[in-house]
Amino acid sequence: MLIYLAYGMSFVLAMMLQYGVFSRWMILSGSPDLVLLLIIALCLHQKHRRFWILILIMGGVVGFVSALPFFIPMVVYMAVYLASFGLKQRVWQTPLLAMFLLTFGATILVNFLSIAVLFIQRIPFNFSIALVNVVLPSVFLNMFLAIPVHAIMRELSVWLYPQGAQI
Amino acid sequence: MRNLFTPKNLRNLILIVVIAGVLILAISGYLTPIFSVSVSPLISAQSWISGRYLAFRDFFGSPRDMATLREENITLRNEVAQLQSEIIALQENLAQADILYTLLDFARNNPDHEYEAATVIGREISPYLQYIIIDKGSNNGIRYGMPVVTQQGLVGRIDAVISDAARVQLITDAGSVVNVRLKTANVEGQVSGSITGEVSLDMVPVESQVDIGEVILTSGLGGTYPPNIFVGQVLSMQSRQNALFQTGSVQPIVDFSTLSAVLVITNFEAVDITPLVP
Repeated sequence: MLIYLAYGMSFVLAMMLQYGVFSRWMILSGSPDLVLLLIIALCLHQKHRRFWILILIMGGVVGFVSALPFFIPMVVYMAVYLASFGLKQRVWQTPLLAMFLLTFGATILVNFLSIAVLFIQRIPFNFSIALVNVVLPSVFLNMFLAIPVHAIMRELSVWLYPQGAQI
Repeated sequence: MRNLFTPKNLRNLILIVVIAGVLILAISGYLTPIFSVSVSPLISAQSWISGRYLAFRDFFGSPRDMATLREENITLRNEVAQLQSEIIALQENLAQADILYTLLDFARNNPDHEYEAATVIGREISPYLQYIIIDKGSNNGIRYGMPVVTQQGLVGRIDAVISDAARVQLITDAGSVVNVRLKTANVEGQVSGSITGEVSLDMVPVESQVDIGEVILTSGLGGTYPPNIFVGQVLSMQSRQNALFQTGSVQPIVDFSTLSAVLVITNFEAVDITPLVP
């Protein structure tokens, strides 16, 4: 119960910080996605079997609040959850590397899904402008913020999961 | 009879006479230059020793005073910090009050509409979408499609509403299209946003003469926005060969990066013409 409460509180805090602060931090037209980074860090540090339910709920909340189509956050967060399994087994000795890999992949995925939605909705846009002005700055900002987010969530997981605990 | 002029007595007598002479010369001032030359180094040395001593005494004798001064210094610094934070808080309140007064003034100058003031509490998570979140919702009479303005001009329209908050689609959003008219040229066109937040002017007939700096107002066409709301100014125009319409870039009158408070026009209902669109 404490684990769910801590993760829920950290998610709510990340949402508030994202909407209030980080969405205004822009390089060109790209901005960081603190919630995505939190989900990635949670997936890398969690030891809970039914954690995917929490991921789905978080995706649903973001889909509800955001103007993005409802399914995009859920799809991206579930993809992060599934990818974190493989990465934890293969690069378990370097969690920061796994964090970087997942951050890069998830940011690219969410950006290209957003572009696909714009394309389906027939909203005119220039792909090269989107790549240079939005995708690359967003990737850079997310990679930059991945380090502190990873460090904070590692401390949280150490507090929540005493050494050797498997729920 | 004893001999008074013994060598010993004579020596003492000479000594007394010499001392008395020196004293008389000193009292009469004849020895002043000699005293000055010989005493001034001594005075300098004495001054140096005295100064060093006083410094030495102060150094070892004043820790209590220094500690007191340091405590007072810390206390005063704390007070200064508190006063500075109070000043910052008051300045923030003043800035917020200025914004609200300006919005109130705008509402008084435009009595045709009823307004609900709202504070911007967040921006959209996706960088592709230009939306803001405001702190007023359906409990305050906010409904889907209501136009949102500031004292400067058009901001956007309500896109989604919950009880105590609403999401506003800005005119800079890629999916936003506003029917406008150019004030001086008296022609109509469309202002649309983009994924980078830049605003462009489209659908302006080729034969129209559009000057740089032309004022752009909402036309009211389509029933999405009320007419005659300031949108921005024309920055540049381009006309391709064989094209039916001119295009141009627009400088919005509202600075969307620093948007902190807005007005929702609550007595305007957008006309839904979706069923009529083929």
